Amino acid sequence: MRALKIAGMAIQGLRRSPLRVTLTTLGVTFAAGALVTMVALALGVQRQVETPFRALALLNNIDVRPEEAHGTERPRPLNDEALAEIEKIPGVAAAYPDAHVKNIHVRHNGKEATAIGLAMPNEAALLGISQELLLAGHLFDEDDPNEVILGPDVVSHLGFKSAQEAIGKEITIEVRGLAPEGGAEFKYTSKELPLKIVGVYQAPAILGKNAQNGLFLPVQIMKQVPGMYMESALNMLESGGDPKAAGYASATVRVRDPKDLDAVETRIRGMGFHTQAILAKLQDMRRYFFAVQVLLTVVGTIALTIAALGIVNTLLMAVLERYQEIGLYKAIGASDGDLFILFLTEAGIIGLLGGLSGIALGWLMSFGMEALATHFAHRQGISGRLDLFAFPLWLLAASIGFAIVVSVVAGIYPALRAARVDPIRALRSH
Amino acid sequence: MSSLQRELPFIETCGLSRQYRVGPAEIHALRDVNLRVEKGQFVAVLGVSGSGKSTLLHMLGGLDTPDEGEIWVEQQDLTALNRSQRTVYRRSTVGFIFQSYYLIASLTALENVALALTFQGVYGGERRRRAVESLERVGLGHRAAHRPTELSGGEQQRVAIARAIVHGPRLLLADEPTGNLDRATAAEVVALLRQIHDQLGTTVVMVTHDEEMAARVADRVLRLRDGRLEPEGNRGP
Repeated sequence: MRALKIAGMAIQGLRRSPLRVTLTTLGVTFAAGALVTMVALALGVQRQVETPFRALALLNNIDVRPEEAHGTERPRPLNDEALAEIEKIPGVAAAYPDAHVKNIHVRHNGKEATAIGLAMPNEAALLGISQELLLAGHLFDEDDPNEVILGPDVVSHLGFKSAQEAIGKEITIEVRGLAPEGGAEFKYTSKELPLKIVGVYQAPAILGKNAQNGLFLPVQIMKQVPGMYMESALNMLESGGDPKAAGYASATVRVRDPKDLDAVETRIRGMGFHTQAILAKLQDMRRYFFAVQVLLTVVGTIALTIAALGIVNTLLMAVLERYQEIGLYKAIGASDGDLFILFLTEAGIIGLLGGLSGIALGWLMSFGMEALATHFAHRQGISGRLDLFAFPLWLLAASIGFAIVVSVVAGIYPALRAARVDPIRALRSH
Repeated sequence: MSSLQRELPFIETCGLSRQYRVGPAEIHALRDVNLRVEKGQFVAVLGVSGSGKSTLLHMLGGLDTPDEGEIWVEQQDLTALNRSQRTVYRRSTVGFIFQSYYLIASLTALENVALALTFQGVYGGERRRRAVESLERVGLGHRAAHRPTELSGGEQQRVAIARAIVHGPRLLLADEPTGNLDRATAAEVVALLRQIHDQLGTTVVMVTHDEEMAARVADRVLRLRDGRLEPEGNRGP
């Protein structure tokens, strides 16, 4: 109670020299604002990059490719037989070919769009692919293979007002491309498939325009699509035209638990394939982000330290200016501790105000920077608002806390000086 | 030992000495001062500046400690107290009045008086009630909301007196309380001090260089010269 009341006097003290206190607080504001903006940017970009990883449960994925051919020895083909063998490895949830097919024509109600198709396993929900990925609808139903998940741009090109409106509607996709005819024969064919829209995914604007303009097909459907084998056509010709023997250019293996990644990778390599876990890529990326965050925090801390010197200066001036008053306080019953608390609180209040306004400033700066980035992204053809900054609650709390702690530490020396004032000398001074 | 316990006066100092070093020179502010003040007395200490009278007052108020000697106030030896115990002593027992008032310019008269109660641990409505009461006692209830710059010198000193008595001290120490005032106002302020002394029974030690005023208001007049207390000759009524 006593400490609280003494602390209450601090505000009175600060109001004594409003200009100086305001300028000092502004120093903290800029430092805390810079700190919070920089860390929020690093966090925001990291979140942007990681969201698709998380939503698609990519951390459980291993990319598998056939080994490079050396001399006349042909590497083992990555075909359905090999994928079936991989699926039997303990810990593997699914193994399916990667495929992306360009120029899929999508039609609905007389409107048409062109999209890039990607394969997604039918049992997506069971593989840890998150519902987060979707703006509306749900992931594929295991029992019904004739489904599709569209990207946001495809949905709008087809004339739907909202993602929600598209759910449950029938569309037709048409794909043209080379399809194996048996032997070494390929034929340029066209295939139409009726599909039901079950979901609309969302992709952060930072991933670019193409990411907005795609569609996911169940693996089973993808295998029927002509052109799917384009990438491995050469491979197929070499193998005598047997698509089963030729195999895919790449496949995705999903493990149930990322802990099994190493063991599964070792087994697959033993089968003669090249592997790379996406987790490893992400971890490299995270190390990079962590380094950036540390760097920005160091820069922010330096800024705060400079601001703290301003606080030391301001409070030392206040102790000198109020020298006589401090003497009086002591004569009328204030203890050394009371004066220590008083000046430490003044420092803390400067820190609190600086921290709060720093957050406000950081938020404003992020707003401006985001608007600027979005503007330039638009000129590059990227639509949508760039969501570059992340302000998690812990960052706000930590910024204010950090500003207060640094300020209070800066206040220790002036507060000690105030506590040690000799009342007789102070009262004699004029 | 038994003699001390038997019948100690309100204030008793024994062999009080204090010297300062100013550059190469040593200044004896007090030399072997033996002083007794009974409870409820109004004592004036006369002396020219540099005679050590302020030093004596600071020691009685627990702001300063002697190089030698003891200071007993209300059966307690101030020289045996540590820093924080002396703070508690000042807070509970003493009220200070200074020549230049030392009011906080940014606070109103009422807030200046209430300030002393904050350090006493008195808060809220009680604090306000007692501050108002104290201001009314010095006749400035109507000036409560004014800041020091809006008050005359005499009014400022009366606010300072209200601040000094607001926590009910048993010892009031006044250091040249009229030094900054004209004669008429000084007389009013001294009369107020006497009135408070009479009404509240507070023991008062007032340092001054105004011999006539000291004689008029005090029960006893003591003289300090070069740090020594002169034998008393001039006794009050």
